[in-house]
Amino acid sequence: MTALVVALAVVVALLTVLVVGLLRAHAEVLKALHELGLDDVLDPAVEGMRIRTRPGVARPRATGTRQGHDIVGSSVDGGAVQVAVVGVEHLTLVAFLSSGCLTCGTFWEAFADPGRRQLPGVDTRLVIVTKGPEAESPSRLAQLAPPGVTTVASSVAWDDYDVPVSPYFLLVDGVSGTIVGEGAAASWNQVRDLLGQAMADSGLTPDGRRSPASEATGVARDQRIDEELARAGIRPGDPRLFLPSAETETETRS
Amino acid sequence: MTTLTGHGLAVELPRGWDGAIFRRDPDPQERAAGGRETPVVHAANFPLPSDRGDFGSGAVEIMGRSGVLVCLVEYESASATTALFARRGLPRAIAPDDYATHTLQRPMAGQGGVQMFFHERDRAFCLYVVIGSHRRRRILAPVADGLLQGLRIT
Repeated sequence: MTALVVALAVVVALLTVLVVGLLRAHAEVLKALHELGLDDVLDPAVEGMRIRTRPGVARPRATGTRQGHDIVGSSVDGGAVQVAVVGVEHLTLVAFLSSGCLTCGTFWEAFADPGRRQLPGVDTRLVIVTKGPEAESPSRLAQLAPPGVTTVASSVAWDDYDVPVSPYFLLVDGVSGTIVGEGAAASWNQVRDLLGQAMADSGLTPDGRRSPASEATGVARDQRIDEELARAGIRPGDPRLFLPSAETETETRS
Repeated sequence: MTTLTGHGLAVELPRGWDGAIFRRDPDPQERAAGGRETPVVHAANFPLPSDRGDFGSGAVEIMGRSGVLVCLVEYESASATTALFARRGLPRAIAPDDYATHTLQRPMAGQGGVQMFFHERDRAFCLYVVIGSHRRRRILAPVADGLLQGLRIT
């Protein structure tokens, strides 16, 4: 009995030392963060710049699914045009470019070369979107628009997608109608890397199909279920989503 | 559903459809005869390539078996009174058996097409519709009809 008490005392003493050590380490981390001026990281009530980016680089967006939009505007020859982005079977890479920005020049050149504009996914469609004629010179766009690439002038599309800066890229999954990935980059290779990563994160295989694993679990499964329910006319909150309770059923029968 | 308008034409595009209304350059013969640019409508339930002809060359090569392409091409208004354009009014429905494999501007294996000339509001037009599979014309013809219901000459 004495031995058991002594053993328990030793265990309690060891645990006490361990807890004190952990608390001390935690305090040192807090102190170090405070000295670096990063107190906000620890305070969930503080809104705003948790992550600082270099000037000219777009800040990451808040997390969450964003919907894609069809692109309606004018073609470089002045005609009216709609490019279907949602409700289609393929991915669409929407490249928001302007005629004036220096970095955009890299992409205008890259897209003009069919050998360089390899896209993520097998049948991914590239669409270049500039601002409308009120903000861009139609004649300059006609010079820049790469042959073989759909180019649309549409300020509405910039607003729809809430584009923060040019150049800016969004990859939209036409089946789910959601934005798979987005961001700004300085070179076409960077864009391809970013989008490849975004596709993998979204459960899409490198050829742009949904991976079997993502179909069975996670966000992709949720999206698929939502899409199928929406096609059947069942929206969030629809009473058909809720099984009647035994009580209600009994009342209905009586 | 989006409505594209321009050049006295309008088209309602169902979800998932590409569309464009633009002016085509007259061919040298038309230009020599005083021809001017005339409007064209293209609508398709598959991605329209940027480089394509008035009657869909460049697009029909990439359309799948479920594809539908609708082209409305305007001609000089002087043609409206000629025998070729004697039919009155834009067709709103095309019978599946009106599609044929030999009426294609650019023959493609398995595809079906139909071409109709008509006049409306003293304007002369050619309606040209291509379906990706002639064997599936009973399924695809109603899809094309759905688009034609939303096509207007204003």
